[in-house]
Amino acid sequence: MNAIKRILKSIDTIPAFPATGNKVAQLLSKPDYSVSQVANVVKYDPSITANILKMANSSYFGSQHKISNINDAVMYLGQKNLLRAIQTAGISKYYKKGSSGYYDKATDLWEHSVAVALMSQILSKKITGEENTTLYTAALLHDVGKIIMGEFVRNEMKEIVMLVSEHHMSFLEAEETVLGINHADLGGKIAEHWNFPIEIRDAISFHHRPDLLEKEDKTMPWIVYMADEACLMMGIGSAVEGLAQRAVGELLKKFNLRMKDLEKSMVMLSDDLNNAKEIISIV
Amino acid sequence: MSDLIVGISDIKVSNSMNDVITTYALGSCIGIAVYDPFAKVGGLLHYMLPDSNLDERKAKDNPAMFADTGIPSLFKACYALGAEKKRMIVKVAGGASILDDTNFFRIGQKNIMAMRKIFWKNNVIVNAEDTGANHNRTVRLEMVTGKTFIRTSGGEMKEL
Repeated sequence: MNAIKRILKSIDTIPAFPATGNKVAQLLSKPDYSVSQVANVVKYDPSITANILKMANSSYFGSQHKISNINDAVMYLGQKNLLRAIQTAGISKYYKKGSSGYYDKATDLWEHSVAVALMSQILSKKITGEENTTLYTAALLHDVGKIIMGEFVRNEMKEIVMLVSEHHMSFLEAEETVLGINHADLGGKIAEHWNFPIEIRDAISFHHRPDLLEKEDKTMPWIVYMADEACLMMGIGSAVEGLAQRAVGELLKKFNLRMKDLEKSMVMLSDDLNNAKEIISIV
Repeated sequence: MSDLIVGISDIKVSNSMNDVITTYALGSCIGIAVYDPFAKVGGLLHYMLPDSNLDERKAKDNPAMFADTGIPSLFKACYALGAEKKRMIVKVAGGASILDDTNFFRIGQKNIMAMRKIFWKNNVIVNAEDTGANHNRTVRLEMVTGKTFIRTSGGEMKEL
């Protein structure tokens, strides 16, 4: 069986995405949801409960006193942050093994993913004036393809690195040339396997080339791309591909941003990362 | 032996022969390793951005974030341990860019330019440099020998 067939077959071996997130999202979308209803859904998932408690106590979510039970956490976090915390807790378990072809340490992929998620919110606020929970989830998942691609990339590393260094391909292009698929497209397929909505799937599939997505009005892949590149430049969760990434020229103009805005976002991300140690530590 | 790890926007200096100072994963950021072989004092800076005018309050809290505040801080911290400028060996690495990055972020190039300007103004000669291109770098300063080593993503550790 050739590589691409084996890669696509591996998707079926990934366990279903925890239903807790979707159940809670449904509850929270009703204006009259009660704290105990939400807590009741969450508490049957012990690993999610433990992680939500950890995150509720992180200074990123602004906690000032110790939160020790799930009812308090639900009340304290509020709708937007609760949803983000639940998605983070749900997604984190797939990242526990890391991605050995791309990263030295198992935790690097998770750290990078959290950083891109936090950066996506900084950029979203700058561009649209508000944070966006769907974007947060897309950003957290943008490299999910790497959890499968890692071992295939590792086996073909010589060939991939040769294409990058001698043929000036981006790492993504080299992956696709050698293995028949790249980690972004594969990530989109994993998100489909988990029944995530199309805008999250698109943001994952096009996170290195948002200019190739024909739906012009979609900003989500662009923001994920920008957040990802910024974190890669900062060396957060640095991977084997380094900065062998394509620059998409029209990016800054598209959002009417100046270089300084991006530099300021990088400064803000440094602060957010300091406050988000608990979120990173759940993997 | 103790391993001193330099984070992003961070400086570590030492006068202990047992120390090895390391910074991981320089992308567009720059690592500057300095060493005075006479005083046996060395230090490593990992700065993120070229110019502290961006956020002066931040630069005050953490000078290591920017080239123009971080580089003087690195030298001063070494002087405090007995190093002298004229004896210092200076090695730099980092400042990578994404492919064809002509009008995109350009932070790697700006970081290199800022460093050159500061060194030129202050008559500091760079003894070895591995900057630019599009790969990440890890930099290590071994206090016992004063040697600086560099590793690019996926490669071997080599002396710089």
